[in-house]
Amino acid sequence: MATAAGAAPSAVERAIQRNLKGLGYLGSSAPVLGASPKDVVLSRGPLRLYHYHPLTDEVYRVPVLLVMATTNRGYIFDMVPGQSLVEFLLLRGYDVFMADWEAPRPEDRAWGMKDYVEDFVGGSIAEVQRLTGETDVSLVGYCMGGVLSVLWAGLNHAAGPKNLAVFTTPVDFHQMTLFQAWSDKRYFDVDRLVDTVGMAPAEMLLTAFDMLRPAGRIAANFALLDNLWNDEFVKGHRMFDRWSNDMLPLAGEYFRETTKQLVWDNALMEGTMKVGGRPVELGKISAPFLHVTAEHDHIVTTGASAPLLGLIGSEDKEQVVLKGGHVSLIAGPNAVKRMWPKLDAWLAEKSV
Amino acid sequence: MSDNNNLDPFGLARGWMSQWEKLVNQHGTELLAKPEAAQAMQAMTGAAMQMQAASQEASAKLLAAANLPSRADFEALGARLGAIEASLSRIEQSLRAVAPEVTPPRPPVARTRKPPSQSPGN
Repeated sequence: MATAAGAAPSAVERAIQRNLKGLGYLGSSAPVLGASPKDVVLSRGPLRLYHYHPLTDEVYRVPVLLVMATTNRGYIFDMVPGQSLVEFLLLRGYDVFMADWEAPRPEDRAWGMKDYVEDFVGGSIAEVQRLTGETDVSLVGYCMGGVLSVLWAGLNHAAGPKNLAVFTTPVDFHQMTLFQAWSDKRYFDVDRLVDTVGMAPAEMLLTAFDMLRPAGRIAANFALLDNLWNDEFVKGHRMFDRWSNDMLPLAGEYFRETTKQLVWDNALMEGTMKVGGRPVELGKISAPFLHVTAEHDHIVTTGASAPLLGLIGSEDKEQVVLKGGHVSLIAGPNAVKRMWPKLDAWLAEKSV
Repeated sequence: MSDNNNLDPFGLARGWMSQWEKLVNQHGTELLAKPEAAQAMQAMTGAAMQMQAASQEASAKLLAAANLPSRADFEALGARLGAIEASLSRIEQSLRAVAPEVTPPRPPVARTRKPPSQSPGN
């Protein structure tokens, strides 16, 4: 009885708050994301290279280049003050750049894997080197941004990078069973798709990601209703909901090559991957390497990401499995507590 | 806990929703992994693409009849602008090589930071 009497005010209070704040939610604007001060220092096709304004008087010698996944916007790395990896790194004294993506325009349909790896990632590295006067650059890639970073490093192992860190980066695409099933050669004609519409439409990609957890969207909306009384929850939901829906189409040739080489032929895992006719030699990468994966990643499963460590030639290499999912690994309270400090601890010693 | 749930209209639904989510995710993904599901999905995608292509073709004909630029014309224009941007970028790079920027946009910061373990006092 005492428990029920104690719980009553709290439950009633929550119900009232839910209603009041629910009305507020409908009328309020979405939070401003990705607002850390920055300059766009390179713009090429869908690539936007940002240089964030340092927040300390003294920075580490080696600049950090974040490479975002090509299907999503880079503001997942820079949500709001206090929940921004970019801000965290700036406050820890890093000189931070990010290779982010815009939606490819129709005339960008011919950009292929070579352009993404050599021109966009390679071009970004060259620009970072030019702007900072440093030849050493730390590459930090997320998901397909990690794949692009690894591909660049595997093609240019003699040139660097100084350090290579990737998050939830797939290498054994045959272990991504649902994506494998949906892109089955017998039913999925990637040539027809690309030749007809020129791009991999964002709606198609969003649907595919949603179907990895068919109940996910409904459950997330229920959780929002349930937690409307909780300002922090609502704020987090709005940020992540906006980001996950803000999906980008992919340039046609890039999507075609990704599907054929990585998804169908599993070329990165098999060691047969070529970009622009040049072999990708992961075994010759010698830069210190860190791979951070998520325990409950439903997009890039452990089976798809774990073999990467064994393929990289570096002597100084490490894989860390942290609690969280594909997105909560890199942003949100879980990331603030786990991944960000781990990245800083690993990178700081190697950035002088 | 159960007392609290009785007073909270969302209490019962919370447990039910959690169960439902697990079941749907588990069985839904099993179902979607079947070749029949993949075949159906691709058939739908194929049909949508055909419709889009047919509609683009019809629109292009209509626009041509009305003497208005089509999507393809705009794409060609975009491609030309892209080529101009690329040329400008190459010119910019050449100019930088000949005459490097005299004043950087912001004062450079010292690149001398040391990790906490190497800082004096540690």
